[in-house]
Amino acid sequence: MLRCFTACSFFLFGSSLAFAQPSAQLLPADRSIEQAVDHYIDAKLKEDKVTPSPRADDAAILRRLTLDLNGRVPTVVELQEYLASTDPIKKTKLVDRLLESSAYSRHGAQTFYAFMQYSEGRPRKGDKGNPLYDYLLSSLSENRSWDRIFREMMLPNEADPKMKGASDFLKSRVKDLNKLAIDTSSTFFGVNVSCAQCHNHPHVQQWTQDQFYGMKSFFARTVDSGGFLGERDFGVVKYIPNKGAEKVSPILFLSGKKIDAPGMKDPTGEERKKEQMRLDQGKKAKAPPGPPQYSLRAKLVETALAPENREFFARNIANRMVHRVMGRGLVMPLDQVHSENPASHPELLDWLARDLADHGYDLKRVVRGLVLTNTYARSSRWEGEKAPDERLFAVAQVRPLAPMQMATSLKLTTADPQSLPTDRKKLEDRIVALEGSASGLANLFPQPTDNFQVGVAEAMLFANNEALQKSLLAGVGTLTERMKQEPDLTKRVDLAVRTVLSRPGRPEDVQALVGYLQRRQDRPDAANQQIVWVLLTSAEFRFNH
Amino acid sequence: MKLKNFCGSPEHAVSRRGFLTSLAAAAGTAAFADMSAIQVLGSPEVANDLRANQKRVIMLWLAGGASQMETFDPKPGVPTGGPFQSIATSTPGIRISELMPRMARRLKDTCIIRSLNTRNADHGSAARIMMRGRMGEPSVDYPDLGAVMAREMGLEGSQVPDYVSFYTATEGRSMSPGSAGFLGARYGSMDLTTSMVPENIRRAGVNEQDHSERAELRDQLSGMFERGRTSSSLDSHNQAYRRVSGIMANEQLFDIEREPQRIRDRYGNTLFGRQALAARRLCEAGVPFIRVGRAWWDTHAQNFESHQEMVPELDHVMSTLLDDLEERGLLRNTLVITLAEFGRTPSINSTVGRDHFASAWSTTLSGCGVRGGTVYGRSDESGNRVAEGEIGAARLFATIYRALGIPHTKNYYLGARPIPLTDPGTEPIREVLA
Repeated sequence: MLRCFTACSFFLFGSSLAFAQPSAQLLPADRSIEQAVDHYIDAKLKEDKVTPSPRADDAAILRRLTLDLNGRVPTVVELQEYLASTDPIKKTKLVDRLLESSAYSRHGAQTFYAFMQYSEGRPRKGDKGNPLYDYLLSSLSENRSWDRIFREMMLPNEADPKMKGASDFLKSRVKDLNKLAIDTSSTFFGVNVSCAQCHNHPHVQQWTQDQFYGMKSFFARTVDSGGFLGERDFGVVKYIPNKGAEKVSPILFLSGKKIDAPGMKDPTGEERKKEQMRLDQGKKAKAPPGPPQYSLRAKLVETALAPENREFFARNIANRMVHRVMGRGLVMPLDQVHSENPASHPELLDWLARDLADHGYDLKRVVRGLVLTNTYARSSRWEGEKAPDERLFAVAQVRPLAPMQMATSLKLTTADPQSLPTDRKKLEDRIVALEGSASGLANLFPQPTDNFQVGVAEAMLFANNEALQKSLLAGVGTLTERMKQEPDLTKRVDLAVRTVLSRPGRPEDVQALVGYLQRRQDRPDAANQQIVWVLLTSAEFRFNH
Repeated sequence: MKLKNFCGSPEHAVSRRGFLTSLAAAAGTAAFADMSAIQVLGSPEVANDLRANQKRVIMLWLAGGASQMETFDPKPGVPTGGPFQSIATSTPGIRISELMPRMARRLKDTCIIRSLNTRNADHGSAARIMMRGRMGEPSVDYPDLGAVMAREMGLEGSQVPDYVSFYTATEGRSMSPGSAGFLGARYGSMDLTTSMVPENIRRAGVNEQDHSERAELRDQLSGMFERGRTSSSLDSHNQAYRRVSGIMANEQLFDIEREPQRIRDRYGNTLFGRQALAARRLCEAGVPFIRVGRAWWDTHAQNFESHQEMVPELDHVMSTLLDDLEERGLLRNTLVITLAEFGRTPSINSTVGRDHFASAWSTTLSGCGVRGGTVYGRSDESGNRVAEGEIGAARLFATIYRALGIPHTKNYYLGARPIPLTDPGTEPIREVLA
């Protein structure tokens, strides 16, 4: 008998914004993603009479794009080149270069890995040798489509060693089918069905206990078979509903689509024997067992991607990609995409979902479109009285760096800028090496959540950990060594600001920093180190903005 | 809603939770808006008032699982009762193990709960349950009691840590690390695992003047960046750095050498005793939650020899701690919880050990909000089952929250989703509460 361990009443927004109902008339499909996003976002701003914050300056755009697409801050040379360029399409060129970099796949794999592991808020665990991370990395490197990634993760071919990691999502959850059903539904359909485990949803009519057990049924026959995934020919999920006697759950997709599958009745002795033989053969051969006659997991994939049911799959990835790029989804939280929790821009969500489906769920294409919007390029600073509702996307979000973004950027910005290759290919290689050396450091930082709170332990680490400070601030090949070579204090400070904060110095901060150096002329080396420490520990470095 | 323990003067009548409620309402999404919002640094007076009445917890964590039969629920005379007798306590009719004579004399502040059935006898998951009051669910990482206390009783800008955990033994440390769960690192534990001095609390490699002046410069530059940018993450970053100097200045709280010799002698020169004394110092300074982990209770072999050695130490440290807290007027606002992940089997195995047992075991609550000198619940004659007053972890936690004046039905928000402190429908145990 299941007990309800979870509190499932839902808090609904006391909406201060009137959200429009989705209309059947969406913008034409041939519009670009940029056009569609800005169209819907601007229309809502106009309706609410809010003037968004102005475009961020070039340095801010360069830093934001480099962090979002390559997981690190730009170098001094990259900053110099970008600021100096008068090319009218320099931003587009930059975006395309960043998307072509191998760092795009590594950073993307980090991002997907974190959310598939549900590791937000927890200390980061290394990705070293993790098969799921490796799988995601190779998928993103060849820009594998999201529907293919979904299919490969649900129906992994374990006989292919290169596909080993694809099975990790199922395998790490196969001993807990509740978790498997909940995580699959959250990850791929944006719907956390865990509430419906105990009772029909109090506010969301479409969510009943059948919804949870229906989703679980797709995995009812999935088993661990000698370290490989197997799927039986028989098996159902039974549960005791809140009212009434125990029942066999229908196999039910979130859209309400019911699946008629064989194997719902108890198998005969003969059938059971045959099935066991199939699984045992695999075990004996130390290989994955043969496929079942009828795979419920295959049926899940087929159903979820069918045009009449695909809204869950398509909206989820559209919403998650908006969240990844803008720091906020059109629907928040990301696993509560349902009728009672409307999107801030329902038509835009539908348009993006359709666009993704029409273009083969091409992740790189949607990222490119999103970062080229005016919405993405707004300043994160609000000059007016009270900042407008976040749901309007009127101001860019301030987002904490993820562990690898933080660690790689720490390593990169504290290196002597002149030691970094200017040749792009060589710089890419250097970045790979830096990321390797940053991996341990990254484990000191938690994976951020949406309302991430920095702990005092992090501040204590930077303030007092001697080994960390030494490794970042002193010695051959560091920024502070380069600063020693610059006798002009203003230029020295400007170099430090450009390197660490990825922008030219401004009069107010240059003045404060030069003043500090002047007061420390008896110990200039220490003073340089403290200047760099101040920049590294400033919020401006810690966040993507 | 006004904080119960808040001083009544009108100028201070801005209660933390009241502030929070309005903040949350204003924000629309209540997620994480309600952290402690009284600026302690700015108003020392408020800080002192709060500290005087702030509720705190010291948890004595008996990692590995102490035996209820050799501590608070002895069964002398039954076949598996073991060699130790029971003795009378300061409350007529209540008897505990003869290994605990000091606690027997000062049961007046303590309620013994003898009817825990927590259904999980695996170290790791049982420790998770007993630190959180529930098992949790796959996609929600629940905060533990320390993190909840940090969140509920920690003060913004506080000069002391909110959650300190001493866990020096290697056994079981990885089973029950402090965890802030979805509340995030802001409420995480300061773990002392290898020494009595917290990591990174001492200045190193930088002189004092530079250390403080660079911190001021940092604050100034971050302030420029913050103008026109509002985000609770951003605030927490600056808050964290602003707390550094205060916490460093309080390093002496961990230094029990600063206690008079007489006090140190009282606690005894054992690691457990020294850490309990440090816990009392921290508690006195306003740290809302301190856990002192004492391991090696996992006595699958030689249960009686081990308990003969360890229970008197527990008796000594626990009773001394309660005496000391009482003498300082702290026991009124401090709840001392003596807890483990589970108890031990009544049956004795072939190596004279007792094994993991979660079906009928004991815990104690002492001090703040608790009806002392009492027993709640009863195990059956053999100790195999709960005979009366069976409770699980959820009701224990609801009782703990109620004793501390925290509404056990209070919600946190994960996005829009409310997460109540205890599972819906859970009721505190009235008989345990003062």
